[in-house]
Amino acid sequence: MDLIGATAVARGWRLWEPIARHRALAVMLFIAVLPWVTPYQALATNILIYGLFAAGFNLLYGYLGLLSFGHAALFGGGAYACGIAIVRFGLPWYAGLALGTLGGMAISLLIGALATRTRGIYFAMITLAFAQSLYYLAYQAQGWTGGENGLRGVNVRRVELFFLPLDFTDPVARYWLMAALVGLALLALSRILNSPLGAVIEAVRENEARARACGYDVAATRLMTFVLSGGFAGLAGALQALELSTVSIETLDYATSGLVVMMTLLGGAGTFFGPFVGAAVFALIQDVFSLWTVHWQLLAGAIFMLFVLFLPRGIWGYLLEWSEQRQATQSS
Amino acid sequence: MAALTPELLALQLLVGLALGAIYVLLAFGLSLIFGMLTVVNFAHGAFYMLGAYVAFAVAGLTGNFWLCLACAPVVLGLIGYGVERFLVSPLYGRGIDYPLLLTFGLSYVLVEAVRIIFGKQGYPFDSPAALAGSVEILGNYFPLYRLFVVAATGTIVLALWLFVEWTNFGLIIRAGARDPEILRVLGIDVGRVWRLVFALGTAIAAMAGVLAAPLQGVTPEMGDSMLIESFVVTVVGGMGSLGGAVLAGLLVGLVVSLTSVVAPELAKLSIYALMAAVLLIRPQGLFGRAGLLG
Amino acid sequence: MERTEAGDAVILRTEAVSRRFGNFVAVRRVTAEFRRRALTSIIGPNGAGKTTYFNLLSGALRPSQGRIILERRDITGTPQQRLVRLGIARSYQITSLFPQLSALENVRVALQALTRSRYNFWTPRARLAGLAERAAELLELTGLYHRRHRPAAALAHGEQRALEIAVALAGAPRLLLLDEPTAGMSPEETREMMRLIVGLAERHTVILVEHKMKLVMGISARVMVLHHGELVAEGTPEEIRRDRLVRRVYLGQREH
Repeated sequence: MDLIGATAVARGWRLWEPIARHRALAVMLFIAVLPWVTPYQALATNILIYGLFAAGFNLLYGYLGLLSFGHAALFGGGAYACGIAIVRFGLPWYAGLALGTLGGMAISLLIGALATRTRGIYFAMITLAFAQSLYYLAYQAQGWTGGENGLRGVNVRRVELFFLPLDFTDPVARYWLMAALVGLALLALSRILNSPLGAVIEAVRENEARARACGYDVAATRLMTFVLSGGFAGLAGALQALELSTVSIETLDYATSGLVVMMTLLGGAGTFFGPFVGAAVFALIQDVFSLWTVHWQLLAGAIFMLFVLFLPRGIWGYLLEWSEQRQATQSS
Repeated sequence: MAALTPELLALQLLVGLALGAIYVLLAFGLSLIFGMLTVVNFAHGAFYMLGAYVAFAVAGLTGNFWLCLACAPVVLGLIGYGVERFLVSPLYGRGIDYPLLLTFGLSYVLVEAVRIIFGKQGYPFDSPAALAGSVEILGNYFPLYRLFVVAATGTIVLALWLFVEWTNFGLIIRAGARDPEILRVLGIDVGRVWRLVFALGTAIAAMAGVLAAPLQGVTPEMGDSMLIESFVVTVVGGMGSLGGAVLAGLLVGLVVSLTSVVAPELAKLSIYALMAAVLLIRPQGLFGRAGLLG
Repeated sequence: MERTEAGDAVILRTEAVSRRFGNFVAVRRVTAEFRRRALTSIIGPNGAGKTTYFNLLSGALRPSQGRIILERRDITGTPQQRLVRLGIARSYQITSLFPQLSALENVRVALQALTRSRYNFWTPRARLAGLAERAAELLELTGLYHRRHRPAAALAHGEQRALEIAVALAGAPRLLLLDEPTAGMSPEETREMMRLIVGLAERHTVILVEHKMKLVMGISARVMVLHHGELVAEGTPEEIRRDRLVRRVYLGQREH
């Protein structure tokens, strides 16, 4: 049955096989130890939420090779959908999360249907522009979104989990609930990557013309992947709304789109763990440098440029490569 | 809704044309750089902002607007030359996304650097005394500075057109946009051509920044929304089409200013609706696929 | 009676097919028949119109005049992706694969494209019945089984061409069109490839375009000779070898 193992990408597979086979489980383990290694709780939650956001972005950029600069619309859209469901309609927390996920998917379907009509090079520009339009829309629609002040009062106090009441105001309980949800989302992501569509996604990245000659619809593949990616981004946004009890207009900002691009590239695009590594490293950079200077963004931007120039495979990508080389020299 | 008198309409048309002129210059540079180097320059907005700040600094020292207009493009042209030489050119052949990502990171750094040097808050920027006030045309009063912006942009575009159409370097640009191989066959140093084109595009962005400064003041973030809006112009006009950049820039400027009369709250949104419509009807852009000078 | 038998033996027919590019006639009124489960080679000196004719057969180009009949169906002008579904597969002169994917995955993805669950995003792909096994069979057939885990980019040039054929075979084609499959190969690789093609011709209908005459004479059932866009000879290799015109076309060329 070694045939089945071989169907995955040849790169980065052998030594990491046990981890890679249970990659969602491995990330959950990482999540479980996170609160004990980060300086404080909120940072761990932050890494959790942005890690999921980046993992969703990575499905599109790392695996399909399509660069979106409008993921803020999906993240922020999910956050607002969740917040509006809870604040304006009084729906329970799980409905908020479901609507956040669906909201992210709906927005990506709309943007993607337009953006995939033209050549790939336009994709980054068009997604960025439509994300900006959503920002202005949220800014104007004060009655729903709170406009400039953001949407306040996304308060969830108690969560009934299979008749087990959880105090959502307790940060530890909240962290565990979120960790469980992110873990489930990662299991889903792992399944998508292992699915037939996952194979098509990689095929389109590798050789668009060949994929077309095989009989695949490249534009449809892009749209499907963008929508799935939007689901993860939307869920991450919804989790952030619950964590912060508010949705600020900045979640829809250009900077949010840029942030997820930076995190993913820093960690390692096209690897399963990379986005979480990137989210963790970025959160630490932000945390450490912002104590030292208010201009930490200068350093973040410079570090990002260095990675683009010299380390384009990202931290996790190089760890994989290094371990592979070591294994290759040992076996020969 | 404000009553749309002919006077107001004429004024709004001028406001739209002046805004459109800024878009034209930005989209022109973006299209030039993309058409030659296939680089989507995400630092274009930051270069625009930097041009305005160079002008702000020069104006602070000398108080001479015309000197600002001369200095900013030169300084930014040199910066652009260096950026292409040391940061962008190592990325050729590594996929179209890398120059884009790099220039994105660069814009982050530039904006923050300006915040460090000049502070987070913005500054007002006075239009030159000679261009203050209004001028009467056919019984209507028009702000002189906006007329100047439109005229200056027209001059710049005309000069660029003559440059591309009639000079040797322009010939190289036109040939290179069609097929870079031709330049190599002719024994032209392609790397140098690309550096100069990048510098030229950057210098035009700086000029746009100087022209825009008296209209909106200078802030470190002034380039962000301009970048996004000039992307809209590029998509509407067709990527890599210089003629498209000019027409689409004016069109987008007019759409914004006319919408702001009818429904001010939708002014910012209108251009995205325009972009969506173009993508639905003509995904390659209104003037796309006609080549660099189509 | 003989007519219907002949009709069934013929899988593809071109009737007075021409292709012009402006004033230049690349292919001029070529009428030919290709027999089922046989290897037919199209030869001719450079610029004889072989590749244009090949592109007409594979649907990459539309004929300016004439008809192309697949079995009894007129396929003139049918786009290439439809022809793939009708069972015409082609290889390219330039290698076109998924470079980072393993050899096995290259073939498996091509097989997956023909299944109903090709865009399924939930079922593990290993559970698509028989795809990996069928891909492994195709790799065995093309002599690449021992290289199945290698990324396509890490294969030797000859192996990449063989992998292309495996990918083309994944569509279970009724007709396999090969465009100079030995281009740029070492003599060793060329021999290997020829052995593979002979093996394929036992079960498939293969049309081979080649400009090295020597290579195909020993293995083809039929040979067609194009010259200046026209079909100047057609027959068994023995007949072609004896043909005066062909000798002049080829020997005349060689002396220059």
